[in-house]
Amino acid sequence: MKEEIIIAGFGGQGVLSMGKILAYSGLMQGQEVSWMPSYGPEQRGGTANVTVILSDERISSPVLNSYDTAIVLNQPSLDKFESKVKPGGTLIFDSNGFHRFPTRTDINIYQIDAIEYAYANDTTKTFNMIILGGLLKVRPIVLIENVLKGLKKSLPERHHHLIPMNEKAIQTGMELIKKLN
Amino acid sequence: MSYDLKLKEMNDSKKQNIDEVVLMKGNEAIAHAAVRCGCDGYFGYPITPQSEIMETLMELEPWNTTGMVVLQVESETSSINMVYGAAGCGKKSMTSSSSPGVSLMQEGISYIACGELPCLIVNVMRGGPGLGTIQPSQADYFQSVKGGGHGDYKLITLAPASVQEMADFTVLGFDLAFKYNTPALLLADGVIGQMMEKVVLPPFQPRLTDEEIAKRSPWATVGKPATRKPNIITTLSLEAEEMETINLRLQAKYREIEKNEVLFEEYDCEDAEYLVVAFGTSARVSQKAVEMARAEGIKAGLLRPITLYPFPTNAISNYADKVKGILTVEMSAGQMVEDVRLAVNGRVPVEFYGRLGGIVPSPDEVLNALKTKLV
Repeated sequence: MKEEIIIAGFGGQGVLSMGKILAYSGLMQGQEVSWMPSYGPEQRGGTANVTVILSDERISSPVLNSYDTAIVLNQPSLDKFESKVKPGGTLIFDSNGFHRFPTRTDINIYQIDAIEYAYANDTTKTFNMIILGGLLKVRPIVLIENVLKGLKKSLPERHHHLIPMNEKAIQTGMELIKKLN
Repeated sequence: MSYDLKLKEMNDSKKQNIDEVVLMKGNEAIAHAAVRCGCDGYFGYPITPQSEIMETLMELEPWNTTGMVVLQVESETSSINMVYGAAGCGKKSMTSSSSPGVSLMQEGISYIACGELPCLIVNVMRGGPGLGTIQPSQADYFQSVKGGGHGDYKLITLAPASVQEMADFTVLGFDLAFKYNTPALLLADGVIGQMMEKVVLPPFQPRLTDEEIAKRSPWATVGKPATRKPNIITTLSLEAEEMETINLRLQAKYREIEKNEVLFEEYDCEDAEYLVVAFGTSARVSQKAVEMARAEGIKAGLLRPITLYPFPTNAISNYADKVKGILTVEMSAGQMVEDVRLAVNGRVPVEFYGRLGGIVPSPDEVLNALKTKLV
């Protein structure tokens, strides 16, 4: 199994942390993982993105030109990465602030309006975990128990009481996501 | 010698116990490895994309545990000269920076090489020239292996291509530096510094005591007992004959290093008709291009120099009669390609593909270059 994922959005949306949690989850199920962030000036208020690869075999390039799955959380990210999803791949987007929607017909497109939900329900801090839940519903690449194990390993102990809140957000995401095509 | 036995042992001895496997950035791995291998002092000035090295050291607070000194100084000129001073006392000392900062250090590096002092310098390269950009680059190859400072000196140059190697080569770099009493350079780039991968950190080694240092490094300036003459470390010899003697001694040492310490890794090379030569991040990207080429029926292989100095000249030379062509891939305008061409000496065509100024080539681009230039 090998899954090549790009997660892209605004700096501050938790894009890099979500990638990190995904990478930790892969680690907990014994996979090879790589996590490569955009660390350029674009992070400061612009777009941030991270490439995450989970694989059963040694990972060659951490830098990719196409992806199995793209998660895009703002318009510039959709514009940049829609064309880079492999045919038959998956595109997940949050439509908040979008004026142009995905148009490809050779990929699976899912919408998850987590930004709107998070604001309405005062759960903005776990916004990225709602998105992660959506991803795991349509691409069950890691087991939720491994996500929770990964959280436990990556979070300092004083934050472990927040894990149930994150688990709940994952469940919410699984319910929110819907297929568009 | 292919991927050195020492490295193999390092990797084999690591039990892949999930509790020992951690996920961290390459920069963080360097910091952890430095503390664990008994480093005495780190002196540095922050610069992207390697600031996490000092940040992690500051978080680890090793002065409370191993007694290691971590000091943010006012400039790279200061940091390299503090390393010079600490190394002169036989201490395991290091600095890290990125391209423009390492340029500032060149005078000090030349002095340390001439003074025959062991230390570790880390360069997490970014795009240049000038202040350039903060994105990854490999354009400091010439500076690293051809002598960025003045005079006839060489730097043992290790090029990691994974987070694991960032940790392993921190240890190895110090080991080689102390084996030959010469500075070692860990030459990474922004991708390897910033990416997170699985890593098993090296075991803890205690820092040496002053007595142990005096025994291991009898040249060290650790305070003169009545029983010996003063140890003097200097790089100034006004008599040309004396300076030539020093140079000849350095050259003899470099020949030893070239004989003993070459490291490289081969991937899919056994039946290769086309050879890709790349180091660091370019090697990772090229490995994927080789996989894609193989899937299309093109017999490609990858040779990854691990030591850039000493360069795996013989290993590459051996392919001159076996392959139809060689493609060198670098994140530069073409620097290592000159050493590849020297190695094969015109016996086989050597082509080049590179991206400049902070752009990382994609596997597609490398595959395309392989097809259009060689196949």
